[in-house]
Amino acid sequence: MISKNIFQLGLLLVSFLYLGCEADDFQKLDERQWSLTWNDEFDGEKGTAPDPTKWTYDLGQGQDGWGNGEFQTYTKRPENVKLDGDGKLVITALNVPFNGANFSSARLKTQGLFAQKYGRFEASIKTPYGPGIWPAFWMLSETITEVKWPKCGEIDILELRGQQPSTIIGTLHGPGYSGGNPVNRYYSLINGRFDSDFYVYAVEWSEDKIDFFVNDYLYGTITSKDVPGEWVYNTPFFMILNIAVGGNFVGFPTDKTPFPQSMTVDYVRVYQKTN
Amino acid sequence: MKNFNQFFKFWVVGTLMIFTVSCERDVEGLTAPDNSKDPNVFIDGFSGGLLYAAFGGSYPAAFQVDTKDTYNNSASVMKFEVPDANDARGAYAGGAFFTQAGRDLSSYNVLTFWARASKSVSIDLVGFGLDLGANKYTTSVSGVKVNTNWKKYYIPLPDPAQLTAERGMFYYSEGAEEGNGYTFWIDEVKFENLGTVVHLKHAIMHGLSETKEAEVGETVKVTGLKASANLPNGIDQEVDPSAAFFTFSSSDENIATVNASGEVRVQGAGTATITAKVGGKDAAGALIIKSAGLTPKPTTPAPVPNRAAADVISLYSNAYTNVPVDTWNTRWQFSTAEEFFDKVQNDDIIRYRNLNFVGIEFVSNTINATSMTHFHIDMWTPDPVTSAKTFKVLLVDFGANNAFGGGDDTSHELTFRAPTITSGNWVSIDVPLTAFTGLTRRSNLAQMVLSGEYPNVYIDNVYFYKSGGGTGGPTAPTSTAPLPQYPPANVISIFSDSYTSVPATDFNPNWGQATKVSEISIQNNKALRYDGLNYQGTQFGTAQNVSALQFLHLDYWTANSTELRIFLISPGPVETPFTLTVPTSGWNSVDIPLTAFAPVKLDNVFQIKVEGNGTVFLDNILFRK
Repeated sequence: MISKNIFQLGLLLVSFLYLGCEADDFQKLDERQWSLTWNDEFDGEKGTAPDPTKWTYDLGQGQDGWGNGEFQTYTKRPENVKLDGDGKLVITALNVPFNGANFSSARLKTQGLFAQKYGRFEASIKTPYGPGIWPAFWMLSETITEVKWPKCGEIDILELRGQQPSTIIGTLHGPGYSGGNPVNRYYSLINGRFDSDFYVYAVEWSEDKIDFFVNDYLYGTITSKDVPGEWVYNTPFFMILNIAVGGNFVGFPTDKTPFPQSMTVDYVRVYQKTN
Repeated sequence: MKNFNQFFKFWVVGTLMIFTVSCERDVEGLTAPDNSKDPNVFIDGFSGGLLYAAFGGSYPAAFQVDTKDTYNNSASVMKFEVPDANDARGAYAGGAFFTQAGRDLSSYNVLTFWARASKSVSIDLVGFGLDLGANKYTTSVSGVKVNTNWKKYYIPLPDPAQLTAERGMFYYSEGAEEGNGYTFWIDEVKFENLGTVVHLKHAIMHGLSETKEAEVGETVKVTGLKASANLPNGIDQEVDPSAAFFTFSSSDENIATVNASGEVRVQGAGTATITAKVGGKDAAGALIIKSAGLTPKPTTPAPVPNRAAADVISLYSNAYTNVPVDTWNTRWQFSTAEEFFDKVQNDDIIRYRNLNFVGIEFVSNTINATSMTHFHIDMWTPDPVTSAKTFKVLLVDFGANNAFGGGDDTSHELTFRAPTITSGNWVSIDVPLTAFTGLTRRSNLAQMVLSGEYPNVYIDNVYFYKSGGGTGGPTAPTSTAPLPQYPPANVISIFSDSYTSVPATDFNPNWGQATKVSEISIQNNKALRYDGLNYQGTQFGTAQNVSALQFLHLDYWTANSTELRIFLISPGPVETPFTLTVPTSGWNSVDIPLTAFAPVKLDNVFQIKVEGNGTVFLDNILFRK
């Protein structure tokens, strides 16, 4: 795991792809220098809520299951979201009926507290697993309050279907390419899973381009030329962390889905490019 | 479908039939750095050193190597022909693939294979760890669903680190599906180390915390041993591992100890929690032993019999010379009873624990009890008494052939309930042999069966005797019932010579009963006599308001009834029974609180009913203050 005290991050030119591949698989990337603009290391007492100056919540069942036919209700109860006392945030999906929903979970966001245009957004996460489990680390434009989705733009840094625990997806939703028809990039582990250890998921976002990384391996790039509609990623975006249960994207949980399921987040860090 | 026990029995037989293992190699506790790490079991044929043995009782040729229908067009495939039910060649398909030299599997985490079948089926059992030896580290999955498409299957290793010298590579057992045989194929059987099979977990007691009440000396088994890992599709695959994978421990060895097989032995009073680890990691679930110490036992001996020895045939008593009894526990199938020969103040008693039923046999020396009139047994139970729970005594006579069967056996079972049975007291059951109405002969008595819902029973003084009255005890009272002394103003009488009774009462209304009712006279005092009782009603001349009164008083006498209840009835009918202790020795007088008959309406009672069996005499049926 990466030491938490690195607030200045210089990424090497060469980053090894060290997941079940040959030693000569490596990437040559341009050197960039980042300076930290926002972070949460999730230090705090066990069982307490994350820092309220950094995170707020979406609560309840949303409209039409948050637009996706999701089954869970979101709460901010410690059962669904808490610090583990060991420097990590734990979001837990439960299959215990609560407030009229069969499942409960949590959805944290920085809306109204922090948003940034461009830069590097990263989080170290151990994903949950099981059919119908849908964890995500993603972003929406601040303009969503005036400009409706998908026109405002959505950047999904990490999404995963619990029935495919070895595959992650990075996605852009914008006008003309949203919902079931977004622009996305996939990455799969050959002999491993994203729920068996922490991985660092990141996007590096500039005016015309978004790069998707896992453990600093660049697995996908989407530029303004790759999207079939308007490129809308030029406003400050806020971050969201959540686990959904069920929904259009992931399908139904089954009686074989192990519960409870937790997404553990070691840190979230945001950088801006230094010149 | 077979059960596993049956299969295992076959397995042992099959081992003997097919293989003799020439040398036993003890691999216990050895690290085996030199053992082969070959992961392959069957790829395009047998891997090096692999052998096959069919299970005993199975169709021996069920398994064949075939070159058709292989997975991924490989050179060959394992083909399994499951026979029809009742196939003369064998009852099922089953066998083990094993090696003579142990393999080191510690660097793998899962056994995988591809399978398909000629139709959609559920294969009874698939696993590894049967090695024709100790079968120490067995791991299996039951009910493996296979259909006509090739699919990959995963059997996670419960703890790879322990599998450094494993010889059992693969085994299967499968019977016909709804009577019909079919074929399945398995290919590419190998051990793998997959990063996509993760989250290995273990459990005992199915992952639950289960409490068992036990007593000192008792053995309780840790069950529900499970391991599971999450497969590449996000679903947990559960397996059944043998106990050898687990390290068991007790929170307090003064209360309970646990051995390597997960057998818990209760040592003292208190609570101990049994938990387990696999590979140093905690298994979910716990077995909590709550021990009350030793089960309560009688502190005093049963009443000493005082019958003359010449009038007694005793099976078990310190008061007499006993006849030979073959066994006090035949251990018949489904009997859970355990017997212990115990003493209380130097008096020998027999304890039965976990009694559901127990056979007692004196077949070698059958007993001729034709000259005897009564059967006697003293019983003591610490178990809580309820009116529903029974204690039963069955006597069996083998008839003229003096052997079981042959069409001449007779038997009869008597049932005893509260209030005859009480908790924490010696209960003397003393019944005329005529009460065993189905026991039409008793010259070759050979078996006795005790049964019922009292799991803890002590017995003593089991004997037949001849009562002083000659060939049979008194069958009818020779004296009147005690004369009631209540002031007439406090009494509403239904039947009594001592009071004016409610007029026009019908003592034999036709309710379809079999009982014969008569009125008899004893020393010029009238009594009611019920013969062949099943049930019998009494219809009052007019309905009575007894709400100002407190008791239903009744005198009754029976030599042979084993069940007797009296009901008070108000219109509806609303009726409530009260159980009477039977049989009696002389007249029994009872004063039953009327509150015992709730919810019968006491301001409007109009009938009573007696239910039970035998010949019963009644007198002084009255309500009183």
